[in-house]
Amino acid sequence: MSDNIKRRDFLKGAATGVGIGLLGAMGLYSYSPMRKSHFQKAERKMADIGVCKSIKVTNISETSWFENAVLMGDIKGAGGLLVNQYDYNWPPFGNGKGLGKGSYEDGMAKIKHLLPDRLDEAWKIIEANCVNVDNAGGYAALIELEQMDGAKRKFLLDSGWSYKWTEECFKREGIDKMLENKEIEALFFSHEHFDHYWGLPVTLKYDPEITIYIPEGFYPEGLQYIKDCGHKGKLITVKPGLQKIIPGMSSYVFAIPIICRVYGEQSLYFNVADKGLVSVTGCCHQGIIRFAETAYNEIKYENDNCHGIYGGLHISPFDDWDPKYDDLVISLGKYGFERIGCNHCTGVLCAKKFITAGYPVIEGTAQYRSKDKAYLGNGDTITFG
Amino acid sequence: MERYGEGYLEERKLVKRWSGPIPALVSLALTLGVFYLTWWIFQDPRGLMRMYTPYVGYMYCRWWLIMMIWMVYIFNFWPFKRKWLENTHPLTKGVVLTLVSTVILVGLIKGFFEGLMGNYGLAYFNPEQLEKLPGITSFFAIEYASLAILMFAAIASWLSPAWVVAFEEAPWEKMKQPGKGFSILIMTFFLSTVVYFVTMHPHMGILYHPWQYFTSIAPPYWEQFANTVSGNFHVSWIMCCTVVVWLVETIWERYPFSLIKNDWARRFAAFFGIIAIALAMHFFLYFAQELTWGEAIRGTRRAFAPDWRWLHVGEMAIFFLVPALFVTFYCDNWPKKYSLPVNVLLRTIATTVGAIALYIVYYKTSHDFLGTQKGFSHPQQFPMIPMIWLVNIWLVHHWFMDNWPAWKMVPKTVEEIEADHAAKLAAIEDVRLNSKFGVGLGAGVAMGVAFYFVTVWALPAVYAAVNIIPGK
Repeated sequence: MSDNIKRRDFLKGAATGVGIGLLGAMGLYSYSPMRKSHFQKAERKMADIGVCKSIKVTNISETSWFENAVLMGDIKGAGGLLVNQYDYNWPPFGNGKGLGKGSYEDGMAKIKHLLPDRLDEAWKIIEANCVNVDNAGGYAALIELEQMDGAKRKFLLDSGWSYKWTEECFKREGIDKMLENKEIEALFFSHEHFDHYWGLPVTLKYDPEITIYIPEGFYPEGLQYIKDCGHKGKLITVKPGLQKIIPGMSSYVFAIPIICRVYGEQSLYFNVADKGLVSVTGCCHQGIIRFAETAYNEIKYENDNCHGIYGGLHISPFDDWDPKYDDLVISLGKYGFERIGCNHCTGVLCAKKFITAGYPVIEGTAQYRSKDKAYLGNGDTITFG
Repeated sequence: MERYGEGYLEERKLVKRWSGPIPALVSLALTLGVFYLTWWIFQDPRGLMRMYTPYVGYMYCRWWLIMMIWMVYIFNFWPFKRKWLENTHPLTKGVVLTLVSTVILVGLIKGFFEGLMGNYGLAYFNPEQLEKLPGITSFFAIEYASLAILMFAAIASWLSPAWVVAFEEAPWEKMKQPGKGFSILIMTFFLSTVVYFVTMHPHMGILYHPWQYFTSIAPPYWEQFANTVSGNFHVSWIMCCTVVVWLVETIWERYPFSLIKNDWARRFAAFFGIIAIALAMHFFLYFAQELTWGEAIRGTRRAFAPDWRWLHVGEMAIFFLVPALFVTFYCDNWPKKYSLPVNVLLRTIATTVGAIALYIVYYKTSHDFLGTQKGFSHPQQFPMIPMIWLVNIWLVHHWFMDNWPAWKMVPKTVEEIEADHAAKLAAIEDVRLNSKFGVGLGAGVAMGVAFYFVTVWALPAVYAAVNIIPGK
C-alpha cells in the first residue's frame, strides 16, 4: 500500500470519526446530569431597593375587553396574532376603512385636535370610524405605597384602552381627582398593548404633566402617541433590567416580544417590611415564574420570601389553553407566594386551576362588569403588609 | 410497458446555462423573489391572505412539503409519464405539478382531516366541532385544529422520506407504480398515526379542561424527563429526524450507512441511525440553549420555558436543512473531488456555517422583512414556517422545474446512467475498512469529542459576542 493510499485511508477514517465522535458526545453528554457542571453558578446580586411598610393595589379596571369572541374575531379577521396593533382599526385609531386596514396616522389625524381634553367629542369620531368600539375596556391599577415613616405615595400602572370606559372607571375610583390634585406622582406603562396604553389621554386630561415611565421597545407610533396626546411632563424610557424608583419600589423591564407586534414589558417589585417580595404586573408576558426568579437573582428582599402577586399573569387571556400553562399551574406552588391577587389576562380558567391546586388566591366580588369571583375584579382592592 | 417517473431525478442531467456560480446565484435570487412574493400573498401578517395566524399557514406549509414528497419520492411522479416529464417546458411542469399538489393538499386537509377524522373520529381535527365547546372562540378552534393536523404533518414529513431514504422503498422496491406508491403511503401513514397517538395525542388530550384522562395519557409519560407536559418535546426530536433524513439523503449521500452490504442491515441501520443522530441533535441543541441563556425553569414562559426550548430545538434544526438543500440543489453537492467521507465532512461544515449565518440573519431581520415578531421566544414566532416555505419553493424549482432557467434538463444516456451508478459504487468501494482507516477513525472520534467540548466551552462567550436581537 502506497503512502498516499495510507494517508487517504487515514483521512477517510478521520473524517468519519469526527462525525461519530461529535454526534456521540452530543447524544450521550448533552442531556446527562454531567452537563450541569457547565452552568455558571450565578451569584445573587442582592441589589438593595429599600423597604416599604405596605402596598395597597386598587383594581381600577381589569376588563381589557368585554367579549373574548369579539376580540378574537377581530384578530382572526385582520390576519392573526402577529398583525400590528395599530392596523386593526380598533379605537382610537379608526380610519373608517375596516378591520385590518387601519393606520396610526389616519386615525390620529381625526382626533388629535381633541386630545387630551375633549375626549367625549373624540370618542364620537372614534365610534364612527373604528370596529367594535364597545368591546374596548382597558387595564389600569392604582398603587398606594406606604413608606416606613407612614407617608403615602401613589402611582398608576397603565391607563386603560377605551377613553369612555377608562374615564368611567377613573371617576368611580376617584382617580380623576387624585390626578387633578397631583396626588399621583407617576404613570408606569407595563407595555405598549392597546388595552394598557391607548387610554393614555384619560390620564393626561386630568394631569398632562404626570411623569411617565415606559419600557424600552416602544414603536414610533407609540412614542408619537405620547406627544399627540398632549403630554407635557417627563418621559422616562426604562432600559431592560432593574430600575430603582423609591425605597421599597423598583421596576424591571424585560426585553421580550409580545403579540400584535409589541416589544418589552415593565413590571414592578416591592419589598414590604417583614413580609417580603410583592410582584405587581400589567400582563406579565415574561411569566410570573421568570419574574420571581429574576427577583431572586437580582434583588434583596425581606426574609428572602416571595410574599404576594398582583396583576394579570398572562396565562389564558382569550379562553385558550395549552399544556405549557399547566406547567405553570404545577410549578407556581414551589415559590410559596402567600397572597395571589390575579385577574385580567390570567384567565378565569387559570384562576380556577390555581384555586383547585390550593394556592392562596384572593377572590373578588365580580362587580362593575368583571365576570367571575375567582379573581380580583374591577373596584376590588388587595393589601400587602 | 408505460414508464412513469421512476429514477427521473437520478437520470436527468442538469446542464448549467452559465459557468461558475452564476446559475446558483441566479436561482437563489429568483427563488428568493418568488418566496417573498408568495410569502406576501399567503403568509405575511401584513399581506393579502395573512395565513400566518400562525398555525393555519404553518399547517398548509408543512403538508404541502409532504404532498411533494409523496408525489416525487413515493409515487415517482405517477400518473405523469416519463415522456411528459422530459419534454414539457419546466414552467408548464412547475405550474401543473404545483396545482396538482395543491389540490391533493386541500383535499387532504378539508376532506380527510377536517371532514372525515374531525367529524367521525377525533373532534379536535375539525374547528366546527371544537367551537361546540363552551367558551372556545372561533380563532382558537381553528388554531387548535390546525395545530393537531400540523403535528401529524411533522411526523409524516419524517417518516415519508425515511421510507425511501432509509428503507429504500423495501419491500416494495420492485413493484410498479402506483402499487408501490400506495403501499409506501399506507405504511408511512399508518406509522405516522401510531407515532401521533403516542407523542401528540396526549398533548391534545390535556389541551382541554378537564384533562381528557380517559382518552389520552394525562399527565403525559414524558413529563419527568422532558420537564414539561407539552408535546413540544416530541416536536423537537421529530423535527430533527426530518432534517437528518434530508442531510443523509443529500449532502451525506447516505454515508456511512451505504457501506453496509447487507440490504436489511443497511436499511435498519439507516432508519434507526437517523433517529439516533436526530436525538443527538435534539439533546445538544437544547444544551446549547442552556449554555447561552441559562438553565430552563419549568412553569415560566418564553425563553426560559422547557417547552419553548424544545420547540426551539426544532427551529434551530430547520436552519440546517436550508443550506444543505442549497448545496445539493444548486451547488451540485460541492465538493466532490475528495473521497466520500471527506466530501461529506466538508459539506457538513459548510452547512453548519450556513445554518448559523442563516439563524443570525433570520432573527436580526425577519420582523422587518416577513412581518413576524421580533425576538426569539414569541409564542407565535415560528421560523420553521418561512424556512419550510422556502424549502417548498426550492422543491418545486428543483423537482418540478429542473432548476429552470439557470439549468437545462437533458436526459442522460444509458452509458451516463451506468457511469453514474459505477461512480457511486466506486466511491463506496473506495472506503476500505483497513487498519489505517481504523487509526484514522479513532483519531477522528477523539477530534470529534474534543471539538464538542471546545464548542461547549466556547459557546457562551461566542453567543455573548453576537448581538442577534437588537436591544435584547
